[in-house]
Amino acid sequence: MEEPTTFERHVYKNASVYHYMKISLDLENGKRSFSDAQFKQLIISALKELYGEVGAAFPFDLLKFDPSSLKAILRVYNKGLVKLWSALTLLGSYQNEACAFRVIQVSPFLLALSGNSRELQFGESLTS
Amino acid sequence: MSPELEKCPRSLLVCEKSNFMNEKSRHDIHVSKHSFNYKISVLIPECAVLPANISGVISNFSPYYLVRDLPVYELLQEKSYETVLQKGTVYAVSYNTKIDEDNSIALLPSVVTLNLRDKTLAPGTKRYQRVLSGLKDRLPLRYDFLFTEHNTGGDEDNSLYNLLSQYKPIEHKAVLSHHTLKNLPCPTLYPSDLQGTTLSCDPHSFLEWLGAVNLDISCENAADSFLSTYICPEPKSSVSQALLCTITGFISPEDVYLLLQELRYDLKHCCRFPERCFLTMTKLYISHKLFFNCTSCAHRKYFDEPKFTPWLSLTVHGFMDSPVSWGATEHGFLKGGENFYNLVCFKNQDYWLHMATGAHDGCPP
Amino acid sequence: MVRFKSRYLLCEVCVPERNSLQLLDERAIHHTLRAAVNRAHGDYGSALFNIGVNVKYLNALTGVVFIRCRKAHYRLIWSALPFITHLEDRGQTQNVQCFFNCIHVGGTIKTSQKFLAQYNRQQLHRMLLDCNTDAEKQHVRRALLSCSVGNVKREEADDEEGSDDDDE
Repeated sequence: MEEPTTFERHVYKNASVYHYMKISLDLENGKRSFSDAQFKQLIISALKELYGEVGAAFPFDLLKFDPSSLKAILRVYNKGLVKLWSALTLLGSYQNEACAFRVIQVSPFLLALSGNSRELQFGESLTS
Repeated sequence: MSPELEKCPRSLLVCEKSNFMNEKSRHDIHVSKHSFNYKISVLIPECAVLPANISGVISNFSPYYLVRDLPVYELLQEKSYETVLQKGTVYAVSYNTKIDEDNSIALLPSVVTLNLRDKTLAPGTKRYQRVLSGLKDRLPLRYDFLFTEHNTGGDEDNSLYNLLSQYKPIEHKAVLSHHTLKNLPCPTLYPSDLQGTTLSCDPHSFLEWLGAVNLDISCENAADSFLSTYICPEPKSSVSQALLCTITGFISPEDVYLLLQELRYDLKHCCRFPERCFLTMTKLYISHKLFFNCTSCAHRKYFDEPKFTPWLSLTVHGFMDSPVSWGATEHGFLKGGENFYNLVCFKNQDYWLHMATGAHDGCPP
Repeated sequence: MVRFKSRYLLCEVCVPERNSLQLLDERAIHHTLRAAVNRAHGDYGSALFNIGVNVKYLNALTGVVFIRCRKAHYRLIWSALPFITHLEDRGQTQNVQCFFNCIHVGGTIKTSQKFLAQYNRQQLHRMLLDCNTDAEKQHVRRALLSCSVGNVKREEADDEEGSDDDDE
């Protein structure tokens, strides 16, 4: 028989190295098709425009991209969060078409992005 | 280069390790104090089909009601106060409101800014009158509310419904969805190593992986990939199949607790007589070639092949716009509104509990 | 009282041909700097460049430049300097190949100036070793003494192995 487990409690402050962002892209003339690489390239170009070649030189990951809704989940080191967020906010056009990134949710836990209670919608079919 | 660009809001994660059988274990308190639950997500490795007892528990979850345009003072009317609120098992949270706009309302069973169970707030007293008239005449707030109540099985079950009936409540059931994941890379966990110093991976990597599984994010990335370099944390093993089951709605903590008990029960009995189970199951497997129950120890099994899950995980997300996380600890949205806990249950009844809240929220208990 | 703290970047503009230094002017330097900062740090860098960066002093003979910038973000300007490869001037058609050698970062003009004097002295010592004959040394000495600016004469005469009478 194993020893009984002892109680342990740890509080981690700022121990998470990443932040996760859930974003979506709005285009003025409705949807157009994007590949995941194009989408990431768009974000990189936004970063380069605002922070230049040196300032934009930090890694981030496009964890998930949904081409139909143009929603994506990004992972970025804490150091790059403010830069990435501000670059997304200040991006105004894509190929001469007005566009805007909407930041839906930002969290240091990827798990938190999977339970967004603001997505709770009631369709008529659920009524009883 | 520019330090002001490299700051980021703080993050807070509380991890606990204990055993369910431990007398001082506080898992039940943590579960019961997390009042406003929006989503439960259960991950069971090495399992293909949702066990019947689990789906049974889920289908018995109390329904919840959506009431549109309910005046807030209605909650404090004498009738409602006496029949429903005093019993202390009703949960209500305003729907489609955003906490950062300071327009959210939640009703807790025990503690509220307006302590509903406070003796001085008994109907008839001066303070009660004042609060009531304040909400009725001065500030006629109306909100869409979600209500739920723990089903005690008594006769008064409908009291909440009756109370709300004039506002045409719409009944909803929590929505269950589940699917089986194939060939999932999965971190190896050792119950003794919560911090991930030697054997397991660290808690943040584990939660990241769990999030990736929940959001259907691929872990198969090359280190030089342009798009993403995310990979499953080490040490890992490949799991041939895993069951991911999510329940969304407005779920009372009592229901969460029942589900947890059932999951524990299964996990425990899976391993109590592993040899016996194993033998009977193999026999059954040969004869029926179908999903089956283990007859020798009379407990339902997770497996359709003789493999045992070493752990399972239960994640409970709170409402992002709830004013509180645990108990009366304040909670806000800010940028993510994270407000969740995760329980990893092991075969030997050890458990890990991870609790996280937002950047400016109170620390979890 | 609140004062804006500054940093002074003391730079040497190095060009392949010495006489092209004559083409330098403060506007051209400012313009080149702005372009370099914009490339390295984008719009954000340009915005910070616009507040508080100016070319304080330029010596077109020696190629010495003083650039003043806010203390809070001098690193941003500083880090863009190595990326300059030529002078960009709107007016002039010819592009001058050059690089900026930042030799000192100081808090005031005075300390920077002191450093510059000391630096020049050092350089002179180094270069004097290249003089092989006494005649060459004498030539250098005469050249130094013929400088009309008193201060320069005094300081640099000191360097000449203390053999000079020009202490004042």
